[in-house]
Amino acid sequence: MPSFLQGRHLAGQVPLAALVVLCIVMAVLTPRFLSPLNLSNILVQTSIMAVIAIGMTFVIIGGGFDLSVGSTVALAGCVAAMVMLKLGIVAGVIAGIAAGAAVGLVNGVIIAKLGVNPFITTLGTMVLIRGVAFLLTGGAPVGDGDLPAAFVSFGSERLLGVHYLVWVPAVLLVVLSWVMYATPYGRHIYATGGNKEAAYLSGVPVDRVIASTYVWCGALAGLAGVMLAARLQSGQPTAGEFYELTAIAAVVLGGASLHGGEGTLTKTIIGVFIMVVLGNGLNLLNVDSYWQRVAVGIVIVAAAAADRLRSRA
Amino acid sequence: MPTPAASTAGLSKSFGATRALDAVDFDVAPGEIHALVGENGAGKSTLVRILGGVHRPDGGTLRVDGQARRFASPHEAIAAGIVTIPQELRLVPSLSIAENLTLGMPPVRRVLGVPILDRAAMREAARTELAKLDFAPDPDTPLAQLRFAERQLVAIAKALRQRCRLLILDEPTAALETSEVERLFGVLARMREQGTAMIYVSHRLDEVVRLADRCTVLRDGRRVATWRRGEFGTPEIVQAMTGRTGLDVATNTVEPGAERLADAQARPDAVAVRANEVVGLAGLLGSGTDRVLRRLFGVGGTSASVRVDGVERRIASPAQAIRSGIGMVPGERRLGLVMGLSIADNILLASLSRLTRGGRIDTAAGKLLIADLMEALDIRPRNPALRVSALSGGNQQKVILAKWLAREVGVLLLDEPTQGVDVAAKAQIHQHLRVFAAKGGGVLVSSSDMAEIQRICDGVLALRQGRITARLERRDGLDDKRLNAAMGG
Repeated sequence: MPSFLQGRHLAGQVPLAALVVLCIVMAVLTPRFLSPLNLSNILVQTSIMAVIAIGMTFVIIGGGFDLSVGSTVALAGCVAAMVMLKLGIVAGVIAGIAAGAAVGLVNGVIIAKLGVNPFITTLGTMVLIRGVAFLLTGGAPVGDGDLPAAFVSFGSERLLGVHYLVWVPAVLLVVLSWVMYATPYGRHIYATGGNKEAAYLSGVPVDRVIASTYVWCGALAGLAGVMLAARLQSGQPTAGEFYELTAIAAVVLGGASLHGGEGTLTKTIIGVFIMVVLGNGLNLLNVDSYWQRVAVGIVIVAAAAADRLRSRA
Repeated sequence: MPTPAASTAGLSKSFGATRALDAVDFDVAPGEIHALVGENGAGKSTLVRILGGVHRPDGGTLRVDGQARRFASPHEAIAAGIVTIPQELRLVPSLSIAENLTLGMPPVRRVLGVPILDRAAMREAARTELAKLDFAPDPDTPLAQLRFAERQLVAIAKALRQRCRLLILDEPTAALETSEVERLFGVLARMREQGTAMIYVSHRLDEVVRLADRCTVLRDGRRVATWRRGEFGTPEIVQAMTGRTGLDVATNTVEPGAERLADAQARPDAVAVRANEVVGLAGLLGSGTDRVLRRLFGVGGTSASVRVDGVERRIASPAQAIRSGIGMVPGERRLGLVMGLSIADNILLASLSRLTRGGRIDTAAGKLLIADLMEALDIRPRNPALRVSALSGGNQQKVILAKWLAREVGVLLLDEPTQGVDVAAKAQIHQHLRVFAAKGGGVLVSSSDMAEIQRICDGVLALRQGRITARLERRDGLDDKRLNAAMGG
């Protein structure tokens, strides 16, 4: 095998290695890091962001970008809570996910069919959707204390010793990784993100593929909103702020290219873990929250810079 | 013998395990055009990039005007008077001619000690330098409004302003039409008289024979020959480049069969291709040969009404064209390949839905298909997991062909299929097109390379300003005179 291929192979493992090193460092610095309670906390904290980041990975591999997921989380949580109070759990969950998918569809159609820049489009919908969430709720949390008990317990109880919340991204990861790898649709996303024109000239329906990635992203942000509502025991119009930035950072930390055509869901999950473990560890170490922001910012820029250096070598 | 403008002795360079240059001696004198030829991967680019300060040599010496030099950056090479004009010009389309020409060393005047761009001097510099090349545009014209050939002149004028003494031209005629090539050759001849040293890298061997004072051939990183004018012709060069003789393609003897693809409506650029037939679309640049191919393939929202194997269809998108059994090899390889994906992914890109069983891609069947095609087309290296960006131009072009063979299309449309491809790969691609036709396929190929048209086509459609002016047949002879007369060249 040519040596540069092995190099690529190694390069692909850098995020995983970074995560392992990070965990070792945290474990050495504070014994509480490896306590079962803390590990379980990390998993739960990872779960909601992982669902969002999986959707973001679809968009970024397809060559796009989505800033509206944080607002979508809030909207979906509020919609789910409102519908749930009237029509029950199943209808509420479906309504939340559908609200997210609808946001994604709007993004996707504007970006793919009208050719508007994804950054600007989703910057606009980010603000717009947050506004809609406030309008729907009048700015107050929905269903605080009134949500069905079964739904609330979904946010806190366990199945086979693992939180329900953690099962969601685990199942999504397996199923959607298979979709990305083994189906024509998945390969079409990579091809479209890698070279839209070449994909179009090879018969790939690039507009539909691009639009579909935003629908995935919106629907999964909607699902994340429902999960967050279960955990917060209410739908909150202020929820999910800056989630879009964390999700994008996680995808890039995992090694996906913002130029599109590269990345995998597994690597994105590693990226999410890096973000969560870093925050969790700094908390345990009682690092000032202002300094935590500085540290997280440095890690994101450093990861992007390391990626540039690697691809130049 | 005057001191060479630049010379190398024992120059070597490796990339990983690949020895790109192996102890190469090379020199170019002031007022000399020295052609550098070789197949893709022979080391031309590496040599040129070392001279241009992009790469550092592992061994050997580089002398400029007799002084040993080692450039740390392209900047240092330019400062030493070595300027490269690459195929993709490094100019800014949104800026004016004058701004482009002075980019990097703009004329400045000081107002109260503050440096201010001197616009008048900028325009004057642009006029002066361009006048040396017999080109007198308005210096304020945005570069985006110029044709490629004119932009190239701007790039050369910029080099002259940078006091360039060695000009390196990489495939300068690849995107030029005949009259523009003549103009460029006039410019180069004049620069030669003025004492500029030039290195001319090209795959077009007839141009090399015509233009070069000396010609050096590289093969596998080694210098295999250097001749003076009059000592070499195309056959010698081909043999030195490939180490073989006789790369001719066996043309077809099979009679054309039933019509495979034809325009269903009368129109000035209506075409028809039969089974077992290779039809050429010949025309000068801008005559619209590429538009004919794009129309038949449904690119860019056009809608073509065509007959495919006797059935009338409307083709409004590439996806519809492909479903009708048509494949297209576009003129630019970046339009034909997803560079970041593997050879395997690219070959299967148009066939994924056909390989799908129960919602998932049948990877076993896909692997077999890929292995067969890579073998049949001799795609090297034989590693389907390799990214296509790592392949040579000829192998990339074969991957695009393989994509359509995997899809089992009946008609192939090709736009300049061997541009920038080396001689051996070119012959292989020609052979595959003939084989495709011999198996009953129809081929429509647009090319500005008359030798290519003459070599592979059974019939030629001559195009002038979007209209087909003649159909010439191989049996009547496809000589230069008849082709040029039909194209209006």
